[in-house]
Amino acid sequence: MMTEAVKEFLCYRCNLKIKYDYYGKKPPFAKSIAIGEECYVIKDPFTSDVGIINLGSHCSVCQRSVCASGDCSIFYCKRFCLQCVQENIEEFPIEIRQEIKDKSLRQTNR
Amino acid sequence: MSDKYKDERHSRRHRPVVENERRFQESRSHGRTEQDETREFSFLRHKHSLNKIFFRSQDFIRRGSPEYDDFWLFVEKYETFQQKAKTKPQASSSCHLGDSSLGIPLQYDKTNRINISVQNKDVEDFLRKGRLADAEIAPELTVDRVKEFRNIFLYYLDFQQKQKFNKLKKVKSDQENLPIYQYKSEIVDMIRDNQVVVIAGDTGCGKSTQVPQYLLQAGFKKIACTQPRRIACVSLSKRVGYETLNEYGTDVAFQVRFEKTKTQNTKILFLTEGLLLRQMTSDSLLSMYDVIVIDEVHERHIHTDFLLGVLQCLIHHRSDVKVILMSATINIHLFSDYFHDAPVLKVPGRLYPIEMEFCPIIKDRDEKHGKLDPSPYLRIMQRIEKKYPKSERGDLLIFLSGLSEIMCIVNAAKMYAQETKSWIILPLHSALSVEEQEKVFDIAPPGVRKCIVSTNIAETSVTIDGVRFIVDSGKVKEMSFDSKYKMQRLEEFWISRASAEQRKGRAGRTGPGVCYRLYHEREYEAFQDYTTPEIKRVPLDSLVLQMISMGLPDPRKFPFIEAPSIESLENSVLYLKDQGALYPDESLTPIGLMLSKLPVDVVIGKMLIMSSIFHMIDPVLSIAAAMSVQSPFTSKINTDVDSMAARKSLESDNGDPFTLLNAFDEWIQVKADGMHTRKWCKRRGLEEQRFYEMTKLKKQFKDLLRDHGLLDKVEDQPQYLSSAERRQKHGERKRLGELKREKRKESKRRKVLKLDDEDYQISDGEDDDNNDEGSNDIKDLEFRLSHDLKQLQETSNQSRHFTLHDVNLLKIILSSGLYPQVSIADDCNTFKSTSEQAFHTKNKPFVLLHPTSVFSYKPELLHPKHDLEQGKHDPTDLKGHLSNKHELLTFVSILETNKPYLINTMRVPALQTVTLFSNYIDTNSTCTRMICDSWLEIVIPDEEEAQTIMSSIIQLRATWQNLLKLRLEDTFLAMESERKISPRARRLERTLASKLSEFLSSDVRYKLRRVLPAEMKNVYLGPDRLSEINTFSLKSTSVKESKPHPIKGGVQFNEYLTHGCLFDDGTASAVGDFTVNMQRHWTCPQCDVSMIVNLSERLEHEVMCQTNNITVTPAQLKAEEEEDKASQMNPLRKSYFCPDCDQQLHLTMTEILKHKKLHTSGPSN
Repeated sequence: MMTEAVKEFLCYRCNLKIKYDYYGKKPPFAKSIAIGEECYVIKDPFTSDVGIINLGSHCSVCQRSVCASGDCSIFYCKRFCLQCVQENIEEFPIEIRQEIKDKSLRQTNR
Repeated sequence: MSDKYKDERHSRRHRPVVENERRFQESRSHGRTEQDETREFSFLRHKHSLNKIFFRSQDFIRRGSPEYDDFWLFVEKYETFQQKAKTKPQASSSCHLGDSSLGIPLQYDKTNRINISVQNKDVEDFLRKGRLADAEIAPELTVDRVKEFRNIFLYYLDFQQKQKFNKLKKVKSDQENLPIYQYKSEIVDMIRDNQVVVIAGDTGCGKSTQVPQYLLQAGFKKIACTQPRRIACVSLSKRVGYETLNEYGTDVAFQVRFEKTKTQNTKILFLTEGLLLRQMTSDSLLSMYDVIVIDEVHERHIHTDFLLGVLQCLIHHRSDVKVILMSATINIHLFSDYFHDAPVLKVPGRLYPIEMEFCPIIKDRDEKHGKLDPSPYLRIMQRIEKKYPKSERGDLLIFLSGLSEIMCIVNAAKMYAQETKSWIILPLHSALSVEEQEKVFDIAPPGVRKCIVSTNIAETSVTIDGVRFIVDSGKVKEMSFDSKYKMQRLEEFWISRASAEQRKGRAGRTGPGVCYRLYHEREYEAFQDYTTPEIKRVPLDSLVLQMISMGLPDPRKFPFIEAPSIESLENSVLYLKDQGALYPDESLTPIGLMLSKLPVDVVIGKMLIMSSIFHMIDPVLSIAAAMSVQSPFTSKINTDVDSMAARKSLESDNGDPFTLLNAFDEWIQVKADGMHTRKWCKRRGLEEQRFYEMTKLKKQFKDLLRDHGLLDKVEDQPQYLSSAERRQKHGERKRLGELKREKRKESKRRKVLKLDDEDYQISDGEDDDNNDEGSNDIKDLEFRLSHDLKQLQETSNQSRHFTLHDVNLLKIILSSGLYPQVSIADDCNTFKSTSEQAFHTKNKPFVLLHPTSVFSYKPELLHPKHDLEQGKHDPTDLKGHLSNKHELLTFVSILETNKPYLINTMRVPALQTVTLFSNYIDTNSTCTRMICDSWLEIVIPDEEEAQTIMSSIIQLRATWQNLLKLRLEDTFLAMESERKISPRARRLERTLASKLSEFLSSDVRYKLRRVLPAEMKNVYLGPDRLSEINTFSLKSTSVKESKPHPIKGGVQFNEYLTHGCLFDDGTASAVGDFTVNMQRHWTCPQCDVSMIVNLSERLEHEVMCQTNNITVTPAQLKAEEEEDKASQMNPLRKSYFCPDCDQQLHLTMTEILKHKKLHTSGPSN
């Protein structure tokens, strides 16, 4: 039995759980890519070519790990989980405020 | 300088977009101006330059990849969007509003939404210098535009990330939406706590894909999942690989007979049941796995049952292994009980409610027996029409028992549909071509329903979505096996309750449904619970052979989950002994060992081995492959007169195997000539798919022979292609790729059926042929790319130039596998009509020729042939004709439908076939009368000739046996080292070949007759009548091989030959008694020793001496070695049979020509 620690990413909001390959800004398996935040990355499993998928990272406010889905977080210069966005909504540009409003509207409609 | 350059461009760029729009419209009406070009600037027109900047030094999104194409589509959409939006392009990200307390600019800039960037030297260079050192860039591409383009590129990456993330999430959420997901932790706990677990769930609950993943997540690393079908292994491995995000890795893999993706990393392996069993021969504890999942156990294939038995033993030896049985919710307790009350977990499937109605058919008093009445089926179609509005979709699926029933209902329903115009009638059964089968997946136009009339193929194997109504006849035709006659029987039965439920369930897959059962509820109650498992319905020969080779000494004691009849087992053991695969003590013979390694049935396996021994591999491979797939010849009912006429040239007078060989070879020829085989097949009423299957199987057989050292390993010669050929290959490969893409798209959007489309026939294709012919035939292209047609053509050319000698040899090779499946013509056939030609096998009298057989059109081929010299009956003999041309008919199987039929028949020379392969030959004292295998009598009136024949038989059989032994020894050696055929074997091969051809062309005249079982009681002298000669000979020899036969009388020389046990023929006895005792001078051709012996002593010596012909004198050995060297020096030497001097020679092509010349010029000199 191998005793390799399982590195698993877990989104605190949607409970998405996926084993990740790398945490940081410069994944070693895609040399020309640099990411603008420390994040959880896997090799793109849907292609045999070079590629990555950014799973998510830590919310810059609450530091909890949150996935990259629009339902869980947004990226605007930094990563913010939607809960922190809601709590600090006044601190965001008008375009993002609108976007969040639309999003919650859509969700209640659903 | 560069600054200036920049500025200039800069000013041009910042023209407001609004203005652009207006001007754009103006330019439309005023023609083009120079400015128009700048206004209409599009990145799309500068692909070339942008490629230089963006896509040279980059390791992802490479040029030519699908992503790259996708990116340019994105650019196009982006540009259209920009034009429509009419917004100002974003100014550079200066923050007019300052930063918020979170440290982010309040002035919105969408570039801030992107967290990915790409390092690209060329882009950076260009942005810094405004040009590239090593490439010309269009002047329109200013630094700003390139910056903008870089942003587009980043937007695309961002967009792509979102897409991929969503895909990832969908994989996860789809898994969570499966019914079985609710039971995940329960399943894992159960497996932790128990050694054996049964998981029962209906189709669609997700057990096949999810359980292996749960096991993986629970920490198991060596997971084997078996599937009954090869295709399922491949598709499941793909699916599970995708779901575990391992599509391109090897963590999830499959392994089937000739293909595997398994590596050392593999954690989940999908494999066939047969393969897992084979792995047990080398690793009896299956220590390479820690969990074994058996899927679809309810299907109860013969291998499933065998595997269950083996696993039941395995768990006693390995407490660490886990076994999981997965089944539909059928007969679960059987499995649970078999594994000592293993816990069961039931997972509900996804099934909508189904309304059910019993509508038993009220039989008319005067109903004709056996004819299906279509009216109850039509009445239900009427009811559906009345009750359910046309706007509500949903198709009808009718289950019937067999082909003729389907034809009957289809015809009636078509008539009905022509009136109402609201149905499209589609038959579905396994004899249909693939394209016709696929029609059931097409969509009916609005207001019309499909009516699919099917066998039980639609019960589990074929799943059709959109079925709302089921009509269940309650009947099924099933193949049963009569082990006594080795006969398959197709009979109609009531279905089981389990399959009635399965049929019903087919209505509720996509919505609520209705099921009409055309039988009474009482009848339903009387149905048997479950369908009879395969093990009780098929021959067990291969199973028994495998059991013994796995070291299970007594198949009768195997702990079957449901045991087959003991009779069936005994008959298989007997058959294997007869075939020389088992010794009398039921251990494996060398042939048996080889056969157990070949995953084909015994008949085919023997043919393959013999083909290697006689170096006649290719045609035997073709025939063996053809015998193993469905016949490419469509049945007479579906074939019109023209096709039948076009087939004529393919038909061989030698029999069906040769016709199949001709058809296959001709098909290769047509393909190699670059002609359209699809059309060629259609014209002749041939199913082309079967030829592709044969090619595949042939290759598999070849690989098998090679793997087992029966075929020399030939390095694939590098193909040297001319540049034109290379171009053509490249073109073909490209075209194939395109076609496959098209096909994928096509299969996604199902075709809509046309109402008038339904009146199709097989031969209607002439017109639509031409559109999709040739270059559009995916199969054809694939075939051309994966095979060396030139080489195929050469080998198939060889079989077209068969001499009579080749044909006879081929027949002998085939018979070596087929025997004892031979039959003899009825004496009265000459006087009977074509359809009444009867044949007798040893156990089954009066079997007919199948209507598909060549001989059923030309029965005269099988009528006794009279000698040329003697036109009339021998007046002295009333018991049969004296001839040198008696023939028997071999067959591959007997199939009983309404009558018993011989399938795949071939005519073979009687004397040679019977004496070479029969297990027992009993003779009278003069050898003029033989009875082979207690049912075929051969009488050779000429005593001298009879004894020569007997000597030949002894020699041939001994040589054959020894050669086989040697070659198999060689091949077992060859598996370890690169040992080739030994010179000794080669010597025997040559002896055998020349002796055999002599024997085959023997023109001894004899009588052939069937001896009835009743008569057999009175043919033997018996032990008490042991004649004087025999006691005498026993005294005189020291060999203890010979002994008086305890029942038959006479002396048994070896395992097959008993001499002097038959009563003499009335006519010859007086002289015979005298000559038999006479001692003569005789020199043994083998050991060259002269002796004075009587007949019995001579035969006895021959038996002994020939058996030892495997050993050689030192002189012989030396000669062989030298010869071996010589032949190695000249590898171009081939074996060549010269018909003139009747010898097997070993010559090069030029030597052959010289040799031939010798004969032609010889006499004149």
